Amino acid sequence: MFRKKRKERGHKMSDYILELKDVVKTFGGVTALGGVHFQLKKGEIHALMGENGAGKSTFIKVITGVHQPDSGLMLLEGEKVTPRSTEDSAKLGIAAIYQHVTAFPDLSVTENIFMGQEIKNKFGLYNWKLMNQRAKELIEPLSKNIDVNKPMSSLSVAQQQLVEIAKALSRDARILIMDEPTASLSKKECEELYQIAEHLRDEGVSIILITHRFEDMYRLATRVTVFRDSRYVGCWDVDKISNEELIKHMVGRELTAMYPEKTAKIGDVVFKVNDISKEGLFKNVSFDVRKGEILALTGLVGAGRTEVCQNLFGVLNPDSGYFELEGQKINIKNPGVALNAGIGLLPEDRQKQGLINELPIYQNVSSANMKKFVKGGALSEKDEIDTAIELCQKIQLKANDIAAPPSSLSGGNQQKVVFAKLLNRDLKVLILDEPTKGIDVGAKYSIYEIMNELASNGYAIIMVSSEMPEVLGMADRIVVMRNGRVATIMENKNITQEMILEYSLQSADGREN
Amino acid sequence: METKNKSFISKMTESRNFGLILGLIVLLIMAKILTPSLYSFNSIVSMLQNNAVFGLLAIGEMMIILTGGIDISIGSTLSLTGVVCCRLMAENPNVPAIVWVLLALLIGAVCGAFNGLIVGYFKMVPMIATLGTMYIFRGFSFLFSGGQWWFPHQFTEGYQAFATLRILKIPAILWIVLIVFILAALFLGYTSKGRRIYAIGTNKESSKIAGIKEARVVFLAMLICGMLAGLAGMLYTANYATCSYSIGESYEMTAIAICILGGVSINGGRGKVDGVFIGFIMMSFITYFISLLPGLSVWSDAIQGAIIIAAVVLNIFTERSAAKRALKERGALI
Repeated sequence: MFRKKRKERGHKMSDYILELKDVVKTFGGVTALGGVHFQLKKGEIHALMGENGAGKSTFIKVITGVHQPDSGLMLLEGEKVTPRSTEDSAKLGIAAIYQHVTAFPDLSVTENIFMGQEIKNKFGLYNWKLMNQRAKELIEPLSKNIDVNKPMSSLSVAQQQLVEIAKALSRDARILIMDEPTASLSKKECEELYQIAEHLRDEGVSIILITHRFEDMYRLATRVTVFRDSRYVGCWDVDKISNEELIKHMVGRELTAMYPEKTAKIGDVVFKVNDISKEGLFKNVSFDVRKGEILALTGLVGAGRTEVCQNLFGVLNPDSGYFELEGQKINIKNPGVALNAGIGLLPEDRQKQGLINELPIYQNVSSANMKKFVKGGALSEKDEIDTAIELCQKIQLKANDIAAPPSSLSGGNQQKVVFAKLLNRDLKVLILDEPTKGIDVGAKYSIYEIMNELASNGYAIIMVSSEMPEVLGMADRIVVMRNGRVATIMENKNITQEMILEYSLQSADGREN
Repeated sequence: METKNKSFISKMTESRNFGLILGLIVLLIMAKILTPSLYSFNSIVSMLQNNAVFGLLAIGEMMIILTGGIDISIGSTLSLTGVVCCRLMAENPNVPAIVWVLLALLIGAVCGAFNGLIVGYFKMVPMIATLGTMYIFRGFSFLFSGGQWWFPHQFTEGYQAFATLRILKIPAILWIVLIVFILAALFLGYTSKGRRIYAIGTNKESSKIAGIKEARVVFLAMLICGMLAGLAGMLYTANYATCSYSIGESYEMTAIAICILGGVSINGGRGKVDGVFIGFIMMSFITYFISLLPGLSVWSDAIQGAIIIAAVVLNIFTERSAAKRALKERGALI
């Protein structure tokens, strides 16, 4: 449990309601926060910005007690606090509204608000009547048309957020953390949320606003703190810093990884995506990919990249629009159809979706195309092994024993096994979902080499990637997605990270709706 | 809101119980036409009396299903407590019968606590864990019974009274079931422990953030379920005044079927006591009804199976229409 020590004498009231100094948090060997600072004034809306993976979410979880920092200081009104759970932080007056709303979908609005602080009668039973009434009182100033008896799942995302705010208010939160609150709101809903946030600020609530959208920041925040690569970059007054400067601070890094020279000749269009839409996920997405080309699909988390790929591979089916493979219209009903037609997917989660760790490497490779090895009704193990060895040599897989399980290999070599699996089939289009995720820098290079070689061999490659240096280093063309739509498609010439980020973030002309 | 404009069908799909009651009425009318003797007070009471243990088992099972788990060991728990109580009762006829009720609750609690320990704290998959304990409890039951049967003459009057004593013309076992249903409704609807059972079933991740200790909740649900199964074991033997280690076989499946019929979502988080109550009444009627019709009784299992499938289809249908309605009310995201 946390302990709040009150120093009666010599206690200086701090200017800041919340202050964090030199906070470090590591998971295993990975640094999630490398000594970050943050200062929140009373009654201030303070924006926190940074790229995907900059450490914002971990930071929030430290403040709310979900994670405990390895070192560093957290001061609440000048006093040291160490929340060990969300309960602790709630008692301190800290509440968070998470990016992915963390509600109980089957439970009613009332119950979501009062979860953990229920009102009971003298028999220890819930007083639903009073709770419903209190919930109504809390919700009404925020929104007139939320029925507190309805299950949370029947509300819109915007309404659910309001419920979360009501919940925070019911606990007398002094500090409210909003994690990307406008990410899935319409323009009108955004405006309503802005007004609520301003109202709360005027009531004396201090707000930490995590956002990717400059519009949010300019509209609400007075100061902005930027994190990059798990580190603190700086803190500025919002009216004293320009968009361009901020983006520069957020991106900051140089292209450190090396990328091999691409030599593949680009041919005709192999695969075409025509105006596909899927309700709630993406809308009017069109692009094509040519023979020997690497097309990067990028954008922020939640922009709809993964969902589009799932549709290309038949995991999901679009509501409208169609695909063309080598000029022929094709209905990709399921992954089986995709594979038979020549579209392969390298899944994002190698461990869960790409490999079977219980089987030896060669069987992992052969598993993608078992039929090939069946002779006279029986599986020929010799063929399996021969093919696996051949494919592994082709992609320079370093394995001592091809009968060992893939878990005996390093991350980079594991990924090569997944590549070998794909090559075991006659494919034309490869969808690579974050192909270098969780692979160390050295091994990345060899993955890039494989990608280039595959392109030279005539594969059309769609690479989904969140890493901008990788996109710029590898792609021939770049598709930037934002809010489920294609923001732009650019030739990769004279493109900078800043430009991609600008397209990924809010455009100047407001959001489409 | 627009409740007035809603069609009959959409109303029905919104209130699942309404559909169930409607089904029950249709069934009763059919039964009345085919077997006029069905509706004597005594026949209905004895029908419910013979099915009473399923009510207890279903309530226990419901709590576990609400957490997102399952327990297939309750039939064996019933057998174990039945055998232990009967043997000790036959050997010590002078001990007051209430002792055997308490003992049954205790044995059930131990069985449930063991399930709760391995599922809640050791994180074993509920289906597999309780498959294991299903055999273990049944095995103990066999060992303790020594393969022996107990017959009516060995049962004391006091013991039997717990099931058969009539209070206001209703046998005690039914009063017990009714009380358990009411307590369960209070527990699940009005206490924080009960609401947490729903919470971890609907979203484990949120529960963690809300500071709910999943293992503890699962343990509690399995403990209660075990106690109810234990009570059911004692009452079962008291009701029939017979016992052997083989009693209660596949009863867990009937309990699960009642839950599904009553609208408990097998994914957890959704389901109400009143639904399970209606499911229990309906299942009792169905089995009774089938057994009354000479040509039909050989079809008994097949018909029950078909009803479960139909209930699942109804569940999916209600869930989908609820999801659709929610989506409509929200408007599209983009």
